[in-house]
Amino acid sequence: MTYVVTENCIKCKHTDCVAVCPVDCFYEGENMLVIHPDECIDCGVCEPECPVDAIRPDTEPGLEMWLALNTELAGIWPVIDEQKEPPPDAALWKDAEGKLAHLSRNAVSA
Amino acid sequence: MTSTANLSPADFTSDQEVRWCPGCGDFAILAQMKKLLPTLGVRPENTVFVSGIGCSSRFPYYLETYGLHSIHGRAPAIATGLKHTRPDLQVWVVTGDGDALSIGCTHLLHALRRNVDIKILLFNNRIYGLTKGQFSPTSLPGLVTGSSPEGTTHQPLHPLSIALASKATFVARSIDTNAKHLSETLRRAAEHKGSAFVEIFQNCHIYNDGAFDFAKNAAIRDDHLVQLEHGAPLVFGKERNKGIRLNGSQLEVVTAENGDVPSNLLVHDELSPTATIAHMIAAMSHPDMPEAIGVLRAVSEPTHNELMHDQNPEPAERSAALERLLRSGETWTVN
Ligand SMILES: Cc1ncc(C[n+]2csc(CCOP(=O)(O)OP(=O)(O)O)c2C)c(N)n1
Ligand code: SF4
Ligand code: SF4
Ligand code: SF4
Repeated sequence: MTYVVTENCIKCKHTDCVAVCPVDCFYEGENMLVIHPDECIDCGVCEPECPVDAIRPDTEPGLEMWLALNTELAGIWPVIDEQKEPPPDAALWKDAEGKLAHLSRNAVSA
Repeated sequence: MTSTANLSPADFTSDQEVRWCPGCGDFAILAQMKKLLPTLGVRPENTVFVSGIGCSSRFPYYLETYGLHSIHGRAPAIATGLKHTRPDLQVWVVTGDGDALSIGCTHLLHALRRNVDIKILLFNNRIYGLTKGQFSPTSLPGLVTGSSPEGTTHQPLHPLSIALASKATFVARSIDTNAKHLSETLRRAAEHKGSAFVEIFQNCHIYNDGAFDFAKNAAIRDDHLVQLEHGAPLVFGKERNKGIRLNGSQLEVVTAENGDVPSNLLVHDELSPTATIAHMIAAMSHPDMPEAIGVLRAVSEPTHNELMHDQNPEPAERSAALERLLRSGETWTVN
């Protein structure tokens, strides 16, 4: 199994998860993070840390698409191993619907 | 089914829900073990994990191999019996610093000195985790715990030193979250013929969090860890400008001023027939010295099973010899 980052993270990106992951397996895009499924050790410590409840174990039903997305994007985005400030408008996007349409596939700009 | 060709981690993963605290280093070790096992050429049903008692000792539940969550401290003894009678099995022991070095210390020593072909993994978190945080034999002086409210006053045991003193033929150390290094170290242990002992720095996220920060934190670890490689000098440091040198009867850290690698450094020899230098490396401790990871010693000696076999190769003759022994002395019949 693995944990995966899902839709709620898009445009929130609080990175509280990054501060706790013992194996630094979060990868950073422009407006979302993903988990590298081959590196995640399933320790579960990030799940309750996420303020917008974006992190789920892939054993929950219906997450196939998110698993595929985490796998793909972790292969192209750079690793993030230190917590940083969330985007200034994160709070506005917290409960927004249909955030997938806003996902940027670009890696974070250096 | 006997093929080992198409095994995958899924073949070694049990259906049990993993019960460690979120963030526990044990997850990291389990993850690497699941990836390693399918590559070792041994089928799940020919693999056995024997553990004692502790959080770490829950390990066998999570693997789809044979497993025995046994008695506190006794896993090495049980594994010895198993390997003695079933040499065809690949036998692993999973133990903690409390399990292996408090109640089970003598069992550990004797399994190692017998060179039984078992692989002993000691998850060292420097605390009793399962019983909610009492000091263990590897806790550092001053550690405040439920059983040491004013801090421990004792000197910690060094697991590697104990393994060397017990004549272990393979002695190594790795780190739970250093996936590549851990996997490679476990592979070397699996391939070793004889008793293999691996200490794994394991973070107890709840009762002793950060105990191995010096070895894990990317910002500082290079200055506190020296990675052993057979035939290579002991060089370390972020700038790779520090090394370990033998000065008289002491190891010392030397730093090259001009950014070069210092000269006359100790060259690691895992095959050394004497363990003298290995003992010195095992004793290096943070913060005075960097601590070593990697294979400290790997020498070839006849195993327990080989020695027993050579003594009396014929199974029928072995049984007869036992029968003769039992009836050799003052025996009597109870009516
Ligand atoms: C005979 C006996 N004595 C004491 C205990 C209580 N006990 C359970 S686990 C443990 C120590 C565990 O520490 P460690 O081996 O370091 O494992 P961890 O839980 O940290 O992985 C102790 C003392 C017991 N279960 N049985
Ligand atoms: S804490 Fe949650 S929202 Fe923030 S980056 Fe991590 S997964 Fe995304
Ligand atoms: S479950 Fe653990 S290893 Fe996996 S991403 Fe979360 S913190 Fe990292
Ligand atoms: S108490 Fe410590 S060693 Fe035990 S499961 Fe929790 S984090 Fe791991």
